[in-house]
Amino acid sequence: MTRRSSISRRLMRGLTIVGLAGAVLLFAAAFFFYHFSIIDLRTCVDYRLAIRETLEHVVLPVAILMGPVAFVVFRVIKQAFVPLEAAAREIEAVHGHEHGFRIDTSRMPTEAVAFTDAVNDLLARLDEAALRQEAFAADVAHELRTPLALLSLELDRFDHADAARLKDDVMAMRRLIDQLMLLAQIDASAAAHIALEPVPLAAVAKDVVSLMAPAIITAGRTIDLDTDKDAAVVRGRREAIAAALRNLIENAARATPAGGAIHVQVGPGAMMTVSDEGPGLSPNRLRDLARRHSRADHASKEGAGLGLAIVDRIMAAHGGRLLTDPDRRGISLRFADS
Amino acid sequence: MRILVVEDNDRLARLVADGLQRRGYSCDIALRLDEADEAMRGAIYDAIVLDLGLPDGDGVAWLVARRKSREAPPAIILTARGGLEDRVTGLDAGADDYVVKPVEIDELAARLRALLRRPGPRSQTVIEVGRLRFDTASRTARVGEAEIDLSRREADLLELLMRRAGTVVHREVIENALYNFSEPVTPNAVEAAVSRLRRKLEDAGMGGKLHTIRGVGYMLKDNGE
Repeated sequence: MTRRSSISRRLMRGLTIVGLAGAVLLFAAAFFFYHFSIIDLRTCVDYRLAIRETLEHVVLPVAILMGPVAFVVFRVIKQAFVPLEAAAREIEAVHGHEHGFRIDTSRMPTEAVAFTDAVNDLLARLDEAALRQEAFAADVAHELRTPLALLSLELDRFDHADAARLKDDVMAMRRLIDQLMLLAQIDASAAAHIALEPVPLAAVAKDVVSLMAPAIITAGRTIDLDTDKDAAVVRGRREAIAAALRNLIENAARATPAGGAIHVQVGPGAMMTVSDEGPGLSPNRLRDLARRHSRADHASKEGAGLGLAIVDRIMAAHGGRLLTDPDRRGISLRFADS
Repeated sequence: MRILVVEDNDRLARLVADGLQRRGYSCDIALRLDEADEAMRGAIYDAIVLDLGLPDGDGVAWLVARRKSREAPPAIILTARGGLEDRVTGLDAGADDYVVKPVEIDELAARLRALLRRPGPRSQTVIEVGRLRFDTASRTARVGEAEIDLSRREADLLELLMRRAGTVVHREVIENALYNFSEPVTPNAVEAAVSRLRRKLEDAGMGGKLHTIRGVGYMLKDNGE
């Protein structure tokens, strides 16, 4: 294993060599100007004088010079790296919002600008590639909708059990397309730096529950909303937060047997919980489902599709987390406190 | 009920029109916005089903212009976009509802029915939800031939719920519609009114149609709404 090179260590070595070389040269000069020789030192009665002369004219000037030089040089080096360390901390802090992130070069020393510019260029190229991929996913989803609409409408003309089954398949494809578009949009809007707005969780939950209740009631389940008095207002994107909650409620509706109830709880604080009468999810299973990415071939038994992966992405973009509580048979969205 | 279907994919337009016709609407098709303009000069429509991306322009912009210049019938936007923000743009432009493709005809028909029940210059005096009929002029409700005896407040509540049948009506909306600002409203006044109305509907054979969404509001829903 090779040792990583360190600028400070190399400077230390360099300064030691300069100091030693300087001392030797000054020593030689002293010998030359005072006509000393090694024999003189052995025999000279002014032995002590010689020592003093040497200290005064060799060791003292070198020490006086090298001390401040070393101090200044180490200080300069240390300060030169302060902006780099700050940038490293910024990069660390941006976890989950990588899209559109650039290193601030305004405080960088000139010597480091070429490097940070190159890194920023690389980040820009990565963003662009991600955007292209997301735009492609959105286009594909969009283009798939019209043929699917045709298919579902044609099937609508047949009054037959087979047609009904096929229509269910079309609707499953529709759900997948919706999810792909949503996923593409979350990432694209993160890249586009859309300003965050204050989002009252209680109002979002009320909207989402109102919109989803008719379908849930038609399917023979019930839904209710319980809003805590101190339900928080978080900073984020309202539509994205609504989409996250919608996905959780859809999952709950699938897991709940007919006649069962879905319970949505907002608060206390920056948290929303959806619980159902299904078997519940263990923390490990939730993590597995949330980590699934755009791979439809891993369709889960719960029929969750990409739902939880999408919710996880939305929560990460909001500095929040997806939690499960198997005892309460619920999944919670916990947002960063604002 | 006459509906104008504005959709550039003619097969899709025909399928939507066919489906709506089978459910009792008469439909005309326009494949472009200028055809839609022409159709609207020649006939009066009760509602428009509008696609967003059309060959000669954007459906939202067209709708905004129609709403500004003269009265346009209520519109349901039918689109393949269905993005996070498109929904909001369409509704801001004056669209009354928004359906994302691929749509089911049953869903579209239910949304049209809901649209046509809303108050407006062309709204009917009799609102129907399944077998339940409410006459907004005489303020009476009937199931088949049997009249349901309602107080003024219960009649107001029933009209509100029927006009928005199939959607959740928030508790505060009911409270504001039923009680004046000057009237003191007891905390459970709305609950009491709803439960009285529910009992009367049950007695008239319309049980299980008035749903409570605890913490949000109430919904009147007949099968297919």
